Amino acid sequence: MANLVGGLGTSHVPSIGLALDKGLRDAPDWKPFFDGYVPGQGWVREHKPDVAVVIFNDHGNSFFLDKVPTFAVGCAEEYRPIDEGWGPRAIPPFKGAVDFSWHFIDLLVENRFDPMICQEIEVDHGIQVPMELFWGRPAEWPVKVVPIFVNVIQYPVPLPSRCYEMGRVLRQSIDSYETDERFVILGTGGLSHQLQGARAGFVNPEADQAFLNDIAADPDKLAAMSREQYVEMFGSEGAELMMWLVMRGAMDREVVVRHKHYFVPASMTGAGMIVMENKASALSEMAA
Amino acid sequence: MPEERDQDRIPDTPLFDRKRSLRGYRINKMAMGLSDPANREAFRLNEEAYLDRFGLTPEEKTAVMSRNWREMVRLGGNLFFILKISAVDPVELTEIGAHQAGMDHDAFLRERLGKK
Repeated sequence: MANLVGGLGTSHVPSIGLALDKGLRDAPDWKPFFDGYVPGQGWVREHKPDVAVVIFNDHGNSFFLDKVPTFAVGCAEEYRPIDEGWGPRAIPPFKGAVDFSWHFIDLLVENRFDPMICQEIEVDHGIQVPMELFWGRPAEWPVKVVPIFVNVIQYPVPLPSRCYEMGRVLRQSIDSYETDERFVILGTGGLSHQLQGARAGFVNPEADQAFLNDIAADPDKLAAMSREQYVEMFGSEGAELMMWLVMRGAMDREVVVRHKHYFVPASMTGAGMIVMENKASALSEMAA
Repeated sequence: MPEERDQDRIPDTPLFDRKRSLRGYRINKMAMGLSDPANREAFRLNEEAYLDRFGLTPEEKTAVMSRNWREMVRLGGNLFFILKISAVDPVELTEIGAHQAGMDHDAFLRERLGKK
């Protein structure tokens, strides 16, 4: 049976990728941000996951407004970086966990989630940046991926509680998957930021810090919040934080926080990371 | 357009709802086109002709050609699409933010984003 080794949360701000492309990792504006991810990268090296399920949103790159899936799941052999306007970035393509993707899609539909099914799709910074933050810049990615796209741009966007419930189906899919592969789930986006309107530049470090606590200790509270509350608290684009709930919904109620990091501003965003393990598996690991 | 702004439930926070999506479809489709290198070249060579291909109104064309980000958003432009204009005619995201906030760039960095 497949094994969920951890749940990770991270921002996916595009300028993070750009900073890496320009060799600015150690520039004064960026060093404290990237340094905070070093323990997260260590955790990934130590736990050697085989598959990364990544929940993110497309930013007007893979999908235009002509067709907007509320939820879409990739089941492709390969996901190439897309041209977002500056040309495709020079990072290796991601290999897909095709068989698991289909298994997950089966269970989603049986549980009354009806996603768009994507056998050929290119991917934007929403998945690229989180992979680079945890795995660095390898010549080839050492994990296969399962992309889950959530519409958080065109209203109506899904309810936070719906994201949380989708996470439960994701967990069921991992638990019932008949290989011994090791899975991690990455909830991405946020934290607070607003790019549009006269409130552009809004960040809310207190709310961000509280979110990083609550995502571990009190996820039910976060799942019960309305979309408007997310917008008010985290900004119009920061509301995408609700996508972390897919990851959290896949974990046990009791988790152990291994690493946590917060930095503001990364470009115009409060940026954060968390690494969590289910308490039960953390305890059995200790005993072993 | 204060009367329009007031319709937003959260002040100064334009959510990309049905109304904005319908209104901004042309601008956003034009900007989405800039994902294609050939269209980026067309935009560079003759911006107005490129905008005309997407049937932009004179008001929309003026907003784009004067790089009036606040006005583009008011006309239904969504930042994730219109940002592609900055791939052809570079401008920092924080400058686009400052413009919408109606602030000087340095003041924006300092007061909104807490930069020293």
